[in-house]
Amino acid sequence: MSRPVLVSAAAQERHGGHGRLAALVGAVVLVLSGLLPWAYSFEALDGMTLPVNPSPLQVMGMVLGLLVILGLLGPRLLPARRGRLTVGWLRAARAAGLGAFVFMLLIVISIAAELGGLVNVEYGGWVALVGALLAFAGTRLVAPGPQSTLYAARTRAWLELLAIVVVMAAALVGIAYALDNDDAGLFVSFLAFAGALLATLSGLGVMAWLSAIAQRRRQVLILAAFVVAFLFPFTQDGSDANMSIATQVIIFAAAALGLNIVVGLAGLLDLGYIAFLGAGAFTAAVLSRSAFATLDWHPPFIVVVLISGLVSATLGLVIGTPTLRVSGDYLAIVTLAFGEIFRITMINLDGEAGPNLTRGSNGIPAIPDLTLGSFSFGRPHELLGIPLGRFSNYYFLLLVVIALIILVFSRLNDSRIGRGWVAIREDEKAAEAMGVNVFGLKLFAFAGGAFLAGVAGAVKAHQDVSVTPDQYVFLQSGFLLAAIVLGGMGTVLGVLVGATLLILLPEKLRFVAEYRLLLFGLTLIVMMRFRPEGLIASKRRQLEFHEDDEELAGRIDDQIQPSAALKGATA
Amino acid sequence: MTDVLQQLVNGLSLGALYALIAVGYTVVYGIVQLINFAHGEIFMVGAFGSLTVWLVLGRSSGSTSLWLLPLMLIGGVIASVGVALLTERLAYRPLRHAPRLAPLITAIGVSIFLQEFVRLFYGSIPGFPNARSALPYPQIDFVTGPALDLGGVVVQRAALFTLVALAVCAVILYVFVNRTRLGRAMQATSQDPDTSRLMGINVDRIIMVAFALGAALAAVAGLAWGLRYTNVDFRIGFIAGLKAFTAAVLGGIGNINGAVLGGLVLGVVEVLATSYIPGTFGGSAWKDVWAFVLLILVLVFRPQGLLGARVVDRA
Repeated sequence: MSRPVLVSAAAQERHGGHGRLAALVGAVVLVLSGLLPWAYSFEALDGMTLPVNPSPLQVMGMVLGLLVILGLLGPRLLPARRGRLTVGWLRAARAAGLGAFVFMLLIVISIAAELGGLVNVEYGGWVALVGALLAFAGTRLVAPGPQSTLYAARTRAWLELLAIVVVMAAALVGIAYALDNDDAGLFVSFLAFAGALLATLSGLGVMAWLSAIAQRRRQVLILAAFVVAFLFPFTQDGSDANMSIATQVIIFAAAALGLNIVVGLAGLLDLGYIAFLGAGAFTAAVLSRSAFATLDWHPPFIVVVLISGLVSATLGLVIGTPTLRVSGDYLAIVTLAFGEIFRITMINLDGEAGPNLTRGSNGIPAIPDLTLGSFSFGRPHELLGIPLGRFSNYYFLLLVVIALIILVFSRLNDSRIGRGWVAIREDEKAAEAMGVNVFGLKLFAFAGGAFLAGVAGAVKAHQDVSVTPDQYVFLQSGFLLAAIVLGGMGTVLGVLVGATLLILLPEKLRFVAEYRLLLFGLTLIVMMRFRPEGLIASKRRQLEFHEDDEELAGRIDDQIQPSAALKGATA
Repeated sequence: MTDVLQQLVNGLSLGALYALIAVGYTVVYGIVQLINFAHGEIFMVGAFGSLTVWLVLGRSSGSTSLWLLPLMLIGGVIASVGVALLTERLAYRPLRHAPRLAPLITAIGVSIFLQEFVRLFYGSIPGFPNARSALPYPQIDFVTGPALDLGGVVVQRAALFTLVALAVCAVILYVFVNRTRLGRAMQATSQDPDTSRLMGINVDRIIMVAFALGAALAAVAGLAWGLRYTNVDFRIGFIAGLKAFTAAVLGGIGNINGAVLGGLVLGVVEVLATSYIPGTFGGSAWKDVWAFVLLILVLVFRPQGLLGARVVDRA
């Protein structure tokens, strides 16, 4: 699985100098163009019509230009020396060049699309595009240079903590900014900018350094992430529009994390996962105080949550016991069939084709909001003078649920059970020979994942107000799977990123909504072909998917034992 | 008695449809050990392919004459074989040595992609109807029309067409697999790909033949489906594919005869379950549930299937 080569190494050797010059000129042009008007009218993007008064997007373009310059001049400013860590300056410059070009292309296209035609792009926009193109083409001619070894840096504790705080603050500001704007072009351009920034940092080696820190200071990182997530509703000023999206993201992420235990950790392809979520939701609905609930027993919510989880887990056991004994492919198709059985059964339990439990395809509407003592989740509240709407209340509850799932996920991953799963994933027969209880561990993953889905489903039922069978169909399972595959199998962060992207993109880009499923399918195919380990890869998974890539194996080995890499660099 | 016979005929004709699709699962599985989830969609593409031929040739004149039938069949086969080979080349082949999870996920992706592609873009062909909802399928003279009455047993013409199509296909398939060089190369590859490669068999080509063979039969099924249910829809591949897979497992996956037998048995079981299971759980609303319960039961009690050529456990 090689990457496409645009310019051969020999050409880079010959024209490296010209490329550098061209890229520098292009980058300087791009930076200066930020002072010129880009668009003809204020209507487009964030209003880039004034000279010497750059809009936020123009500033982003300038930042990308500066990054190209920084990457190209870096080796001059801090020449490589023996014993000093290598910084991937030129790799960063290449990433920034590519990012700047994509960014400018998107900007020009958005201006044209929003104002009707390329005529509306002002001269400054064209200058910026040419500059970005020059920077891109020039950096392609520059050889990427050595891999960064920044990850092996020994840094002081306060610096590491500061880095975590900065990253988290940047994440909060970035998400709030992206959500604050309804303009599709702006959203895409911002996404391109964020991607370019991350790619540049990863070229420099900063990302590897950050991930090394994240491993060393895991508790701090997780705590910081939750603080950021907790603070998010306070940035919304009581508005429920974005909070509704945020709760959707969290429910979706919670379900995807549960599925990731099954798919990512244990390596079992479960295509009926949404049915377990549905089973939890229907259980909670039937036991709720809705006027349409069919059972006359309304236990307190905490009991309902447990029952929902247990119902799903029981279904998991029923499906898992026969199928987990045969090979994994069968599990995939049987779970697919189970998803169908679930949907049909829920439709049929309407009192006509079967006993009345779910009211058929009408489902159970008017599920009341949760109450906890005198606290009703349905009513807006105020905390420290900042108003919080209905969705914010559920958001906090869901944060607790997702924290629970993340806790289960990471504890399991680090435990004896988790190591058993790794062994099964990599070679089932060898694992069995080593005394791993293959069937038991698989069943545990399957039923455990189902339990978590049931819990998430119970909360979802109350948050959604109504539960119908068509909310829980195969395509939703495929959607969950796409989030895992896109984000990264077997990682928490990857799933969170994948879930956020998959919910946010169609929400913000209305014109994509129609092609949503088509793009999911394509995502699955393309990711499996080019990056099966996902955007944010678990190192172990990455190795499993690229078994014959020796270079990658060596690199991962270095990162796991940084001291060895440092020795290699100094020797 | 005629009642039982009637149910049997209904079951067999339904099963013939499953059998035609099931062969595709089994042939591909037998050679690359891949469950091609997207095979149901290949069947759907075949149905739309034959519909396309009629829309081009027959719609303007409203013609339903019999000479259109072979042309529609060819159109369907070209569409489904083309798509199957394309997916094999672009999506599955690069993953041949990847961990088993990868091609499975790709197959799901292909399946969703094909469904959505047809839904969104079939109507973009100039003059073609929008495929977002079900499209009426042309009814061809002679193969559809008033049902035949054979001594109290009523047989729809389309059902008879399906059974005849299965019989013809089964004979051709038998001859192809057992009597031709290519067919024997296929058998050899399915038994041991590495050794066959050493014997000079082009394994890549055999895999393409397997995909094409399955797709061609699926296209026949697509045509039969359209004639039988009088409309097609971009979603038909999902349930039909699941059922056909059940049939393939029932017969013993990897075993071509097994797929045909499994399809017929599944069809009969489904029809019998609908009409003879007493109480509220009997009606047609539950028939899919019973088919899938059968799949689970087979996996519990006889994972190698009815004719079981291959032991299932290949993790």
